[in-house]
Amino acid sequence: MIKPVPPAFIFILGAMLIPLLRLRGNLKQPYLILVSVTAFIDLLYLEPGTSWVYRFLGYDLVFAQVDRLSLAIGYIFVIIGFLAILYSLHVKEDGQHVAAFLYVGGSLGVVFAGDYFSLFAFWEIMAVTSVFLIWYRREKESLDAGFRYVFMHIFGGCSLLTGIIIHIVSQGFTAVGPLESDLGSLFILIGFGLNAAFIPLHTWLPDSYPQGTVTGSVFLSVYTTKTGVYVLARCFSGADVVAYMGGIMAVYGVLYALLQNDTRKLLSYHIISQVGYMVAGIGVGTALGVNGGIAHLVNNILYKSLLFMCMGSVIYMTGKRKLTELGGLAKLMPVTCIACIIASLSISGGPGFNGFVSKGMVISSAAGVGKPILELMLILASVGTFLSFTKLCYFTFFVHNEGIRAKEAPFNMQLAMILTAFLCVFIGVYPRVLFSVLPYHRVYYHPYTPSHVVGVLQLFLLAGWVFMAAKAAFSPHAGIVLDFDYFYRMTCRGIVWLCMVPLNGFRVKAQAFLSREVTSIASLSRNPISIPAITKQYVHLMTAQILKYNAEISQNRKRELEHIRSRLREIKGMAYNENTYRGPMGLGILLALIFLFFYGLIYFLAS
Amino acid sequence: MVRYLKRLFVILVIVFIPAGFFTEHEHAVYLWHRIPSVDAIFGVLGALLLLVATKIVSSFASRREDFYD
Repeated sequence: MIKPVPPAFIFILGAMLIPLLRLRGNLKQPYLILVSVTAFIDLLYLEPGTSWVYRFLGYDLVFAQVDRLSLAIGYIFVIIGFLAILYSLHVKEDGQHVAAFLYVGGSLGVVFAGDYFSLFAFWEIMAVTSVFLIWYRREKESLDAGFRYVFMHIFGGCSLLTGIIIHIVSQGFTAVGPLESDLGSLFILIGFGLNAAFIPLHTWLPDSYPQGTVTGSVFLSVYTTKTGVYVLARCFSGADVVAYMGGIMAVYGVLYALLQNDTRKLLSYHIISQVGYMVAGIGVGTALGVNGGIAHLVNNILYKSLLFMCMGSVIYMTGKRKLTELGGLAKLMPVTCIACIIASLSISGGPGFNGFVSKGMVISSAAGVGKPILELMLILASVGTFLSFTKLCYFTFFVHNEGIRAKEAPFNMQLAMILTAFLCVFIGVYPRVLFSVLPYHRVYYHPYTPSHVVGVLQLFLLAGWVFMAAKAAFSPHAGIVLDFDYFYRMTCRGIVWLCMVPLNGFRVKAQAFLSREVTSIASLSRNPISIPAITKQYVHLMTAQILKYNAEISQNRKRELEHIRSRLREIKGMAYNENTYRGPMGLGILLALIFLFFYGLIYFLAS
Repeated sequence: MVRYLKRLFVILVIVFIPAGFFTEHEHAVYLWHRIPSVDAIFGVLGALLLLVATKIVSSFASRREDFYD
């Protein structure tokens, strides 16, 4: 029997073969699907335990650490990878497919990594490859946003590596698992937190994801933040600071989402908010909390990628991305509209949709461990989520807009949206399939209790009533809203100013001074014998010039100064002529004998 | 269409707000878990709170599209 390989290798090898095989037209699309199907079949055969261990520089690198947690994340990563590839089948650029495959492979590598070094290696593969999904849009904004994305992830990667090194030096080479609170774990938390979009390290996310390609943003919305959540579940489960950070992220995300006009920027802020729920559940740390966080991760991947697919289709077919420019698409793009409503109800946690199950688990876990503030923050975020998706659907599909022209998206895009929407409803109606893959399989949670269903419907009805009553206040406006990146950008501009103005000014002055001195030395070196004469004339000139300011200047004195200057110029211009300074050979021999005599005398006296 | 949606909304409110008085929170921990139809109150207060918060934030943080260019 063939031994199953870590699924990361299938995607990475698959990516490398895309340009080598040079597949055209009808052959390329089946190949892309085949790779993801192979990865899924391989995943089914992966058995719990540790395998694919290699010794490198005295350390054991583990590429397949398989348990319930990594398998749950692995399944959803491969399934959504398949759907995202299906959505992007019409893309002709091989480079986009290569970047997407390497990105998915890197993410799966992080999930199944059993040691910190291989985790770090796959972490960096993710960061480097994902940026191409932004740059492939080939616009100036994308290029700039991609560079900012890379800088932020370099910072996070450096922090993670620093933490790993400190951890290994202090505690030895350990498997990826719960960390004690020390300096190393603080650096690791910053590294993980940057990918999980902790406030205020989140700015790369709403800055770069809206700038990705239509299909690239679907991949981006899934993997980076979710691997961050996964490693937090591995290493920082039960940490209070993580739990409250989750609450802050949930509220902060919806608050900023409500202010956005760009559809994909609105979705990006909702990634932060939804990741906040996952982080909160993991921070609570109980079996219900961790299960809730991971269940929300699985559900979020489904409905968030569906939302990015819907908005990608809208942008692809209309060329417009701002809520102020959209509207009236419900009749023109009915499949996209229905898929978007399903995704909106899922993310809001409507009964019958997958978000209802997992959001309830996280909120219940916060209440169960005596964190009332956290529970209220998560409920508030729930209200905000419903409001902002009511706003998104209303202003994209239902508000009156005569000027818009569009037709339904290509078939492969529709098929991917329909399948993903089906999964959102299927898990919502039949949550047992989700519960069966969660890390703690002996935790019982019944989402469809009367109080939960009635409570959520009350929340939606009354929040919806406020939305309709204050529709004008919630309507989108052109412009941007400053976030924490304002401070980062201003700091960077300050550093650039420091380099360009004071430091560059100093450099120019130092360069001019040194150039002048080098020119003088070069001039002197043409005739070194003349240095004493030049020094003498120079001292004479300086003395005369100083005296000039202290006494009456007569015509004679002026003439004297001019004479000294001309003499100085004459000496400087004098070329070296060895015949002028040549002495008899006997003089040189005499000097050598004198030196030899004194050298011998000193040697004799010293010994 | 809008009229039908409004009627549906009123019917749902009539059905589900009183329903809160007949359903109890299974694992009531805090005071608000015992208040009937508290989620309706959370819905209104939460929406108003977020509306006020967005107005405050946009009052000092809103800029033109080309602000960073």
